[in-house]
Amino acid sequence: MAEDLVLDTAIRDWVLIPLSVVMVLIGVLRYFVSKLMRSFQVPDPKIVKEGQVIVRARNLRAAANFIPPKSFRSRRVYFSNEENGLLFVPKGQAQNAQAQMFSDPNMAMDMMKKNLSMIIPQTLTFAWVNFFFSGFVAAKIPFPLTQRFRSMLQNGIDLSTVDVSYVSSRSWYFLNLFGLRGLFSLILGEENATDDTQRMMQMSGFGFDPSKSLSAEKDGLDIVQHEWALHNSQLCFSRADVGFHKQGKEASLAPSNVPQQVQASGLDSIGPRNETSFANTYAYAMLI
Amino acid sequence: MVSKTEETQLNRLENQVDNGGGGAWEYLCLARKLKVRRPEKVLKYGLSILNDSKKRSALGPEEWTLYEQVAIAAMDCQCLDVAKDCIKVLRKKFPESKRVGRLEGMLLEAKGLWGEAEKAYSSLSEDNPLDQVIHKRRVAMAKAQGNISAAIEWLNKYLEIFMADHDAWRELAEIYVSLQMYKQAAFCYEELILSQPTVPLYHLAYADVLYTLGGLENLQTAKKYYASTIDLTGGKNTRALLGICLCTSAIGQVQKAGTKKTRRVQSCSLWQQKPWRKITKRELMINMACLLVF
Repeated sequence: MAEDLVLDTAIRDWVLIPLSVVMVLIGVLRYFVSKLMRSFQVPDPKIVKEGQVIVRARNLRAAANFIPPKSFRSRRVYFSNEENGLLFVPKGQAQNAQAQMFSDPNMAMDMMKKNLSMIIPQTLTFAWVNFFFSGFVAAKIPFPLTQRFRSMLQNGIDLSTVDVSYVSSRSWYFLNLFGLRGLFSLILGEENATDDTQRMMQMSGFGFDPSKSLSAEKDGLDIVQHEWALHNSQLCFSRADVGFHKQGKEASLAPSNVPQQVQASGLDSIGPRNETSFANTYAYAMLI
Repeated sequence: MVSKTEETQLNRLENQVDNGGGGAWEYLCLARKLKVRRPEKVLKYGLSILNDSKKRSALGPEEWTLYEQVAIAAMDCQCLDVAKDCIKVLRKKFPESKRVGRLEGMLLEAKGLWGEAEKAYSSLSEDNPLDQVIHKRRVAMAKAQGNISAAIEWLNKYLEIFMADHDAWRELAEIYVSLQMYKQAAFCYEELILSQPTVPLYHLAYADVLYTLGGLENLQTAKKYYASTIDLTGGKNTRALLGICLCTSAIGQVQKAGTKKTRRVQSCSLWQQKPWRKITKRELMINMACLLVF
């Protein structure tokens, strides 16, 4: 089955290269059109505030161990208490967010514009490719493929004996569609409207749903166990202070002397023995 | 906060431009990105680029950002004519722009015409209620007029909406400390520590505020925060070291006055003093001098 077909070089000159060039040009055109049509969206104060609340709550969760327990608890209550906590969203409001997004005329128009600017050129180009460039083998893919790909890649070719590696120009179109993204970010800079693949992936998961993220943050905050990181810091410090002098190469300070001094000489007032040894091991571990 | 690498880069560029070897445009871009305040240099080098028509046209669309930067620097240096010229050019180019409106408000502020500046800012903020810069200018204006309570009010309103802005929290904390409202200042410093827990400055400031508040629990907490500052700076922060000594002695005094005499506290104070005695006299002198300076 693996006979080698000899493909005319004219195919390369008149199919592959023009198709790529046309797609690049269409992409550039779309970029400029989207720039012209971009409307300035006034940010909704409520949404901005919610975004900031989420950032603050996230910071609280992340660095909770650095502030004293009392302040942490008061902040947690401030965020998640039932009456006027910042993160608390009453059940009725939760579902409205999605509906609101659809009914808000500006946002709907914006989304429609973005979708259209993506769908129309794609459809047109695809139709053009099908019309002009179908019915012949365009290229050979360098790696072998299974038979399942036949229907996708060999659509114009009605011979079932041709190896699946020989594909029609439709597959070249798809290859370009996904592959030119890198080229566009080189030519047009980072922000360009031609990021179709990203947009398609985003369309499945719907946009910004503030109420859900708020309740997610609230749950996360409720779970946090506060363990004050600084509880033992003064013990560590004292040893670290010794270490500091160690590095200072103080001649009078023999490193082995000081700890013993602290332990032995009448400083049983340091508290129970086991705590001292715990502090020693803990702090020496900190030094290292 | 500016990182160490960025700081060295900025200093290097500054030296380079000062000593006559090009690179003025990169210096200006870096200063703009890092938002550092170097009005005289920005003014000098910015004007040298803008007055030279060849260099100006070489900038392309960045020319207008440079005009804005130079206008702000000129207002900082009180060269109000230069600022007015820059703003006029920008207004001609962008007649309906809110950004230029903001600059005009700042010019009124620089001239000291508080009422008109306030009017300008309120009309701008009506159109655009979420503009952070306008809110901040209002706070700065209130502070410049000496009306600290109004400044606090504006800043609180700003923080109600934009509560993740750590610069604003820092400003509020400093205002509270200047007014001796230490409890509120402590709250602000806690916010700062939450947002950036690895910056030793905030731990140090928080410990200072707690020490000033006094009371046994606060003193103990302050000691812990001084210790964490030492941890974060690798023991190099003299102020924190002295802070620990002062805290321990203060705790000792409170303990003596109170009925409970926990031996642990006494021992800690002894523990602190022993390493100190090992320091040479010279180091001790330097440390004491630092204490007086601070």
